[in-house]
Amino acid sequence: MSAKILVVEDDETTADYIVGGLEQNGFVVDRALNGRDGLFHATDGKYAAIVLDRMLPGMDGLSVLSAIRAAGIQTPVIVLSALGAIDERVKGLNAGSDDYLTKPFAFSELLARIEALQRRGPATAQSVKTRLSCADLHMDLLTRRVERGGSRVDLQPREFRLLEMLLRNQGKVVTRTMMLEEVWDYHFDPGTNVIDVHISRLRKKIDEGSDPPLLHTVRGAGYMLSERA
Amino acid sequence: MNRLIRRVVPFSAPVRAAVLSIAFSLLISVPVLLFVYHQTDNLFEQRIRSGIDDRERDLLFGYRSGRIPGLVGEIEEEIDTGTVRNGAVLLADKSGRKIAGNVEGWPEELRAGEDWIEMPLYPVRSSQSVPYALRTVQLPSGYKLLLGTSVEDREHMRASLVEALVGALLLAIPLGLVAGFILLRVTERQASAVGKVAARIAAGDFTHRLDEQAEGEEFALIASAINRMLERIEELVEQLRLVTDSLAHDLRSPLTRMRANIESAANYASAEPEQYALEAISTDIDRLLRMISATLEIGRAEAGVGREQFSEFNLAELLGDICEMYQPVVEERGLSIVVEGEEDLAYFGNRQLIGRALANLADNALNYGAAGGAITLSCVDRGEEVELVVSDRGTGIPADLRADAVRKYRRLEPARTTEGSGLGLALVRAVARLHGGEIILEDNAPGLKVRMVLRR
Repeated sequence: MSAKILVVEDDETTADYIVGGLEQNGFVVDRALNGRDGLFHATDGKYAAIVLDRMLPGMDGLSVLSAIRAAGIQTPVIVLSALGAIDERVKGLNAGSDDYLTKPFAFSELLARIEALQRRGPATAQSVKTRLSCADLHMDLLTRRVERGGSRVDLQPREFRLLEMLLRNQGKVVTRTMMLEEVWDYHFDPGTNVIDVHISRLRKKIDEGSDPPLLHTVRGAGYMLSERA
Repeated sequence: MNRLIRRVVPFSAPVRAAVLSIAFSLLISVPVLLFVYHQTDNLFEQRIRSGIDDRERDLLFGYRSGRIPGLVGEIEEEIDTGTVRNGAVLLADKSGRKIAGNVEGWPEELRAGEDWIEMPLYPVRSSQSVPYALRTVQLPSGYKLLLGTSVEDREHMRASLVEALVGALLLAIPLGLVAGFILLRVTERQASAVGKVAARIAAGDFTHRLDEQAEGEEFALIASAINRMLERIEELVEQLRLVTDSLAHDLRSPLTRMRANIESAANYASAEPEQYALEAISTDIDRLLRMISATLEIGRAEAGVGREQFSEFNLAELLGDICEMYQPVVEERGLSIVVEGEEDLAYFGNRQLIGRALANLADNALNYGAAGGAITLSCVDRGEEVELVVSDRGTGIPADLRADAVRKYRRLEPARTTEGSGLGLALVRAVARLHGGEIILEDNAPGLKVRMVLRR
């Protein structure tokens, strides 16, 4: 069964881009061209996630979001906006969105975030997990112990959190900005690609001397932890 | 008028007020005292003159009725009855020898026939001279008569008038100082009210207004004019924000589509050279978009946007985060990065923006400070201010180029070979200013030291 996504976007080219990409990746997509239609769809149908543009004719994106939340609908919402300034992002998150993505974005970034949000789904089921694994890589969240193939891997606290994030999203792409936001709590793009170097250190620690490699670079998108290459 | 006063008394308004107030009290009290002095003096003289007139009449009456013996009798009676307690009387012969009276002898320099002359005399049994007003009469027989009244009282009066004058002066000075002080307080209060609001505005917070009712009427005039001006400024800033936001939307949307199309084109492109070309375009678009967003962010920080996201956080921790974030990439380039200074420094501000500013500085240090050595991040608590310092051991920036370095789109090497938008330091400055501070570029001998001063 394929998940249903609602895309509320007034710019047709951008909407085509998003909808086309999502459909290619196996989603069923409903689209709305303005805030009122978007709100109507959101309150009506059951969606796995809603992609909501911030600047919409008729009814502003944040107003739509507030109305959706006021109606008691907890569907995950990603707000899309050209207003990339950090404070605007916080406004969006405060209004009840689950994620905030600044235009322009690579489709892979949006896709990764939609998948991450879906997986978050019923939050309670995941939060009791104390052990994460991928192939012979194991992470104990209570003792904060990480093992690869039975031998212990020493990680810095930040590397631990990076690996935890990758493990929770295993098999899915995790983008650099997602890491920066979740692991460092920064919502800006540092000019130098600092994340790549952190990842290569982490890769050295968990993959060097072990087979198969688990941490993969997904070209033009981000990184993925997976058994399969 | 004001300009004239300023030229004469070239001090601050309160000092001017004090000096003017003192001058005014003197201007009023001195003529009044002089007038009183003159009037009293006249009155005094008239009284003395009429007293002498009376005595002259009596004595001459005695002379007319009994010649010299009659006059002597009158004189002695005058002395005996004490009617001339403060008076001097003398009858002398042609050579000036005393015949009767209470003065020892005729003063040599004194002519007979004076109507009013003042001179000191030695009364009988007195070694002290006393000022007298004298009248001298030439009697037909060659005898000379001297009549006088002590004017010591008038001297006393003069002295007390001078004392009054000094007293008025002494009173005028503290009164003037009090007036000046009161004015000083009022002026200070008004100036600081305006100053506070102005500082807030300068820091980008346009919502503040002066209380028009707080002070007197003349202040209300200034306050309402300033408030009207502030409303206008706020309106303009708001417009600017709307325009830039719309521009951001309008510029970025086509760029997003362009990037999307290039992405899919790259997917369809089979040959590697095509893929590389498309990737290069994609990279350039990304750079363009980063520049747009940095420009917008600088504009927004300069307009004071982001203030509503202020919260309390630990600056030392933030420095640690940035250090930790950059450590791998710094080490990869053979440099090192360390944190120094306070271990705990609470600050109320925009964590994201300050973090971004620090990341920009760390980036700069990494890209331009590549000559080697350590990049140092530190924070200092200065009470009213906190200071974040990022220094490197690179080539630095020559002193005459430092001011240029913080301007938008200025990059120091003309060829623009190094990647970067030229917006890094401009953003850092905008963030510092949003927090009521500034950035200062210094020589780290060698290298560059950027001090980011933030107000608490």
